[in-house]
Amino acid sequence: MPMAQTINRTKPPETPPIPSFKMPPVHETTLPNGVSVVLVEDARFPLVSMRLSIQAGSKFDPQGLPGLAGIVAGLLTQGTATRSFRDLAEELTSIGATLSGQTSPDIFTLGGSVLAENTAKLLGLMADVALNANFPENEVALRKQNAKQTLRAKRSQTAFLAHEKFDALVFGSHPYSFVSATMESLDRMERNSIVQFRDTFLVPNNALLLLVGQLPPQPEMLKLVHHHFAAWAEKPLPAAPAKDFPGSRRQFVLVDRPGSVQADIYIGRLAATRTDPDFYPLLVGNAILGGGASSRLFLDVREKQSLAYDAHSELDRRQDAGVFTAVTQVRNEEVSRGVEAMLDNLSQMAQAPVTAAELTDFKNYICGEFLISLETQASLADQIDLVKTMGLPNDYLEMFTTRVRSVEPGQIQAAAHKYMNPEDATIVVVGDAAQIAKPLEKFGPVQVQKADS
Amino acid sequence: MTPPTAQPVIPIEKYTLANGMRVILSRDNAVPVITLYMMYDVGARVEEKGRTGFAHLFEHMMFEGSANVPKGMHFKLVESNGGTLNGSTHPDYTDYFEVLPSNKLAVGLWLESDRMRSLAITQENLDNQKEAVKQERRLSVDNRPYSTALVDCWPELAFQNWQNSHSLIGSFEDLNASSVDDVAKFFKTYYAPDNAVLVVVGDIQIPEARKLIEQYFGDIPAQTKPAKPDLTEPPNPTPRTGVYHDAHARVPAVIVGYPAPTRRSPGYYALAMLDVLLTGGPSSRFQLNLIKGKESLIQFQAEIGFPFASTSDYKDPGDYAVFLLHKPNFTPQQIVDQAQEEIAKIQNDGVDPRELARARTFLRSEHITSLQSSLHRAQLLGRYELFDGQPELINTDLKNFLAVTPAQIQDVAKKYLTPERRTVLEIRPAPQENH
Repeated sequence: MPMAQTINRTKPPETPPIPSFKMPPVHETTLPNGVSVVLVEDARFPLVSMRLSIQAGSKFDPQGLPGLAGIVAGLLTQGTATRSFRDLAEELTSIGATLSGQTSPDIFTLGGSVLAENTAKLLGLMADVALNANFPENEVALRKQNAKQTLRAKRSQTAFLAHEKFDALVFGSHPYSFVSATMESLDRMERNSIVQFRDTFLVPNNALLLLVGQLPPQPEMLKLVHHHFAAWAEKPLPAAPAKDFPGSRRQFVLVDRPGSVQADIYIGRLAATRTDPDFYPLLVGNAILGGGASSRLFLDVREKQSLAYDAHSELDRRQDAGVFTAVTQVRNEEVSRGVEAMLDNLSQMAQAPVTAAELTDFKNYICGEFLISLETQASLADQIDLVKTMGLPNDYLEMFTTRVRSVEPGQIQAAAHKYMNPEDATIVVVGDAAQIAKPLEKFGPVQVQKADS
Repeated sequence: MTPPTAQPVIPIEKYTLANGMRVILSRDNAVPVITLYMMYDVGARVEEKGRTGFAHLFEHMMFEGSANVPKGMHFKLVESNGGTLNGSTHPDYTDYFEVLPSNKLAVGLWLESDRMRSLAITQENLDNQKEAVKQERRLSVDNRPYSTALVDCWPELAFQNWQNSHSLIGSFEDLNASSVDDVAKFFKTYYAPDNAVLVVVGDIQIPEARKLIEQYFGDIPAQTKPAKPDLTEPPNPTPRTGVYHDAHARVPAVIVGYPAPTRRSPGYYALAMLDVLLTGGPSSRFQLNLIKGKESLIQFQAEIGFPFASTSDYKDPGDYAVFLLHKPNFTPQQIVDQAQEEIAKIQNDGVDPRELARARTFLRSEHITSLQSSLHRAQLLGRYELFDGQPELINTDLKNFLAVTPAQIQDVAKKYLTPERRTVLEIRPAPQENH
């Protein structure tokens, strides 16, 4: 494209359309014991990222033991039958590696990265930790004690209290309704329950092994995978929790937190998952409503009405359900105006189509953020892991920007009508009931509940 | 066994515009992302008495708009393209970055060049930003545990020369006293092309990038560079101690520090390796002996150039210091003694070669991992240019760290990390009656 010698500085330069992402080649296979293996060559840096992902996230916590999966994940790397914590720490340092366990509501992940030359060694450590963790009593006690400290700190945060109540309301009896361990569940977690969780869920036919990076030649790589994981014994799996969710209806709960000077407002309901046809329209609509400093909620609730420092909306994308939530925090005196402003913005999304400028800006926003999120090997590995563990189509990453860009205003309006309708929204406010219960009555029946301490 | 892989070579194209602006381009077309990184050779240490906080105030002014970019548009253009941006003030430089999808290169250059050329320095903008800086101070320093101790008390205790010891955030009094003329003068002097380094990393085509950079920046006039202030500290440090009563802290902490060697001297490399042994990674001595072992520490963090810099942007004079958050059943003196004892083990017994081998691998892995981000590559290229005039050190400096011997580590521990040269700041929780 020829360019004039002098440039026009008075307005932002015209630029070419947003580039697309080219997925590196993916090789997939399955071991005889059921481990799904995914190899992705990423030759940019002499590093390898590994994920052992298991369908054993916190929704698989046994009844009465919320938080158990998370505790198991943290303890895996604290010692095995043949390696103490110190041995593991020194071996990891000596091969330039990291390795740690964590959980999401759906997935249990043992993840790490290593200098490419030491790929075989980290794979060996990962297998040892996944198969042979021995959960020393002192480490179990320490982990439970730290989890209690963390929980105590969290319970002092209004956002945590709001999430806790909101998730309990929208997910009903489904285990998604627990946002964390409880003091009681931590007390009940014996070493036995920890071992039992591992033995039940950390089994090969429930696992995906993903390796991304400068890998050894494929036959050699697969031989290593066989060597470390072939002995892992296949087992029948318990059924996943039934996808039973309560229907969406208008409910309003005020969580009483005496002494609060501000009110945290959460408004939302169950929404589309990534595989639902409504997903992309809802994704773009959610961004226009509450994604970042140019969104409607930010411009109206914060900039125009000066009601809050922050106002935004979120889309939680779980395997079995999505959740749409609009969030803000206002001073006690403004609580009724705050709820009203949020509800108004939600209604408007369904009442009129979004503008052409909003559509372009927010598609660029979503696509740009997506491309930037693929920059490092770890983030690429996370994205591929997501596609595989959440059962998304193989072209999900390559087609993401195309699918976002094809969303039409009419589809957004329809999605807003379905998911942003105040009539069947769950509303949770956390604040001082003595100060704010009265002004909230105008929104209909409000149930006042105590926050657990 | 697979042989150790060489570190990837980061391509570098370095040149200077006619107006003196240094440009470093590094092409990497793997992911459609670019980082624009703009460094100005001005930091808090050049500030004059009565003008503390000026470098930081100025960083805020840079987002207030310019001749062709209305207020707010800088944020909007970057964010509406999914990008990220920020600016930050350091003792020895001020930097700004934009990470964008690669089709937006021209937009980033337009934004950075317009504010270098024509920043909107008005009374209204200045008043706004004085308030914003005060608000930032209230929220992120005055109201946050440990922040005042780190940001204000530590430099005051550790340095003798006012240029080094004064507050980087500045005092409300000095901020209030600054005028539009002061700000305009500061802008003209320091925000000139010949006082700046522009780094562009990522999915670019070199000829196109060069052409655009020339078009956007080529005709911004150079200025006369001012002389740099004397930052020298007295040659023989003495022990210093201080106590800060922190109204927001719930857990006690101690900062222990020692004046560090010159940037890129043999002692600097040896100290960096010593730091890995003491505090780097899951098997460091502090981790295994103090967090586990004695179970006295909760958390620790060490830097050469503490608290504002780290190894890659350290510029002497400065300290190697470690922040130690500890359990309340240990006294601060016990914690200082335990830290000093870990250092004494190295002074007396030297370094096990296997432990050093682990530390080298750890450092190599950290370095290569960090290079994946285009922003981090840009920062390293910029720092090596601004401090050393050699951006190519991004590819070669690692071997200077890896070449450090056990004897050099023992020597640097003996020479630098002694109680006679030590500064200690205790941070005691001092909860207010009403909270």
